Amino acid sequence: MRLTALTAAMVMTAGAAWAEEKTLDIGVSDALTGGGAVYGLPQTNAVKLAAKEINASGGIKVGEDTYMLNVIAYDDKANPTEASNAVRKLIDRDGVKYILGFCCSGATGAVASFIEYEDAVMLVGNAAERSITTREIPNLTRTRPPADYTGAAAGTFVAEKGHKRVAVLGALDVGFYASYVDAFEKELEKAGGEIVSREAFGLKDRDMSPQLTKIRGQEPDAILVVGYVEPAAFIYRQAVELGIDVPRYGFTSGSEDQFTRVATSEQMEGVWDLRPTELTLLSASENGKAYHANYTEEFGIAPSPSSPYSYDQTYALKDAIEAAGTVEDTEAVAEALREIAVPDEVVMQYLPVDDKMFDENGQAYTSNGAFQWQGGNWVFVQDLPSDAAAYSAFLSTLDD
Amino acid sequence: MARNRTFILYWLALVGFVLLPQLISVKYYIHLCVLALIWVIAAQGQNLIQGYTGYVSIVQAGFMGIGAYSTALMGMHFDLPVWLTIILAPFVTAFFALLTGYPSLRVKGHYFAIVTLAFNMVIFIVLMNFHDLTQGEAGITGIPKPGGKDALFNWRDRETYYYFVLIIAALMTGLAALIVRSRIGQILVAIRQNEDLVGAVGIAAWKYKLFAFVTSAMFAGLAGAIYAHYQSFINPEIFGIAQSLDAILAVIIGGSGTIAGPIIGAFFVVFLPEYLRFADSFRLILYGLVLVLATIFMPRGIAGIARDLMEKRRGRT
Repeated sequence: MRLTALTAAMVMTAGAAWAEEKTLDIGVSDALTGGGAVYGLPQTNAVKLAAKEINASGGIKVGEDTYMLNVIAYDDKANPTEASNAVRKLIDRDGVKYILGFCCSGATGAVASFIEYEDAVMLVGNAAERSITTREIPNLTRTRPPADYTGAAAGTFVAEKGHKRVAVLGALDVGFYASYVDAFEKELEKAGGEIVSREAFGLKDRDMSPQLTKIRGQEPDAILVVGYVEPAAFIYRQAVELGIDVPRYGFTSGSEDQFTRVATSEQMEGVWDLRPTELTLLSASENGKAYHANYTEEFGIAPSPSSPYSYDQTYALKDAIEAAGTVEDTEAVAEALREIAVPDEVVMQYLPVDDKMFDENGQAYTSNGAFQWQGGNWVFVQDLPSDAAAYSAFLSTLDD
Repeated sequence: MARNRTFILYWLALVGFVLLPQLISVKYYIHLCVLALIWVIAAQGQNLIQGYTGYVSIVQAGFMGIGAYSTALMGMHFDLPVWLTIILAPFVTAFFALLTGYPSLRVKGHYFAIVTLAFNMVIFIVLMNFHDLTQGEAGITGIPKPGGKDALFNWRDRETYYYFVLIIAALMTGLAALIVRSRIGQILVAIRQNEDLVGAVGIAAWKYKLFAFVTSAMFAGLAGAIYAHYQSFINPEIFGIAQSLDAILAVIIGGSGTIAGPIIGAFFVVFLPEYLRFADSFRLILYGLVLVLATIFMPRGIAGIARDLMEKRRGRT
């Protein structure tokens, strides 16, 4: 009896050793605290969720080996130095070769400046600064389209609504918000409209009534708000409180939960968000609905609209590793990333260029959409004009 | 005898710094050491105005920013070699320090601190908003390393950069020691102790204060320039008031008015936040708590405590 038990134990141990799975550490550098955490924390959660799903469905297959993903996440506080430290730590100390996340442009730009010389692949999520994918960095890809790609579409949409005099209130010292507004203005002017005022606010500002009072005096047809979720929510609320009764357009990518922490649903009613076609429950695909449900169950809170950028990164990485047939050769995986089709599991609605998820610059494109706050939810109203191929060609001409 | 002992200690420390990369197996810590050595340069400058002259300046990171942007922009627009732009950066910073130092040194104490804080804010806002020149929040990328393509050393290797920064930090520490041991240094200490008395004996205190302020800024400018070429990327975020406060803390924690203090303090402000990462979102609270306790219970800093301990031990023997 004792012998039988021992034999059984040996067989089980041998079996376990035979079926031993390998672990692939993937890193996340993102804003887990501070102002950028509204984007960074959901992105980090989304990578963890995707890794859990990939592990549950058998991991990443590389030849005979199967790799289970282990996520190591560090807080970069959206700060360039912190991000450099976090990524150097992931690469040098933790031996990580694949780094995801990157919600914020300043921190992302800092890492992008040296990642080319590292034995690693960088997958950028929500950071929208255009120059990140104009530097021809072979081991960098990004899932979110640049801000001006969306800004141009937004300008056309607002012009089509018949608005001629638009007042802008935004975090205009942040490069990608400024480039959104520039592209918006160009399209608005084509239709005979104009921006009558460009008022700025800081990312930590919460009282925007002075700027709004000035804007009210200029009697615009509409206002455009570009900035992080929290200050934008304050603007929408204060606009109502000041009696500004013109259509409010924005570029924020905040979830319902994030907005209603600051403004009531009534104060938000009718607000437009003109952004990439990110996640909203009412417009989501089957993948989107499943992602929303799983994320909410896992983390006890609804996902932010932009969080799937990093969820999709994780699946893109999986496909690229499987296509390259290696986890060690980062060059091969980086090359494979630029060749893969859009994975089946992704949540965002990507517009492939030449049937590939990422173009030659490592840039992915989603469609742009007009979302409106209706009865407590962001409701997808219509697609905005989004010519990914044309923008990709334009991006290739830039050299920042 | 005591001076000899101090001298030997400094040499031992230098030997330790030279051997350090050979003892560190994880390159990440060499990266942190490079950042700490850059902070040593900035903190030695801060110590001149704060520790020796007694004027708390809250603009050191702003001056680092001027140094960093000037070296990057001179390289980009005038195609100057990296070595030259690094050498010129402290002089550009000195020019701005002269402009700001003259009016700000007309006030004393807290007022001086507030005026310099305002200057740091102005520098930050200009860096953020003068987009055509500084590229705003997106920052400047691709700042070249020293040495160029045919360089003798691989400047992308952190170890190479470590030794480069170590040499500069040692030279600047030596320069700071020379200044404080000179007549100028003695007058600076006298200003800290009793500025009115310095004036009463016929010394134009303002000239010496301005010298300390401008020299301090040059140290910061040099630190900023070295930082820019090390990271290959700069944006305004890293030259804000929080970083100026770090420079002040480096001096206070290390030991204000000592040469060793800024060295210890610089490593402290770089490494402590890293070691508190285990505390996740509580780490900044812990960091603040450690700093408050250190400031209350170690007013003379770590260097001061070390000196007390050594003197106690000497007294026993």
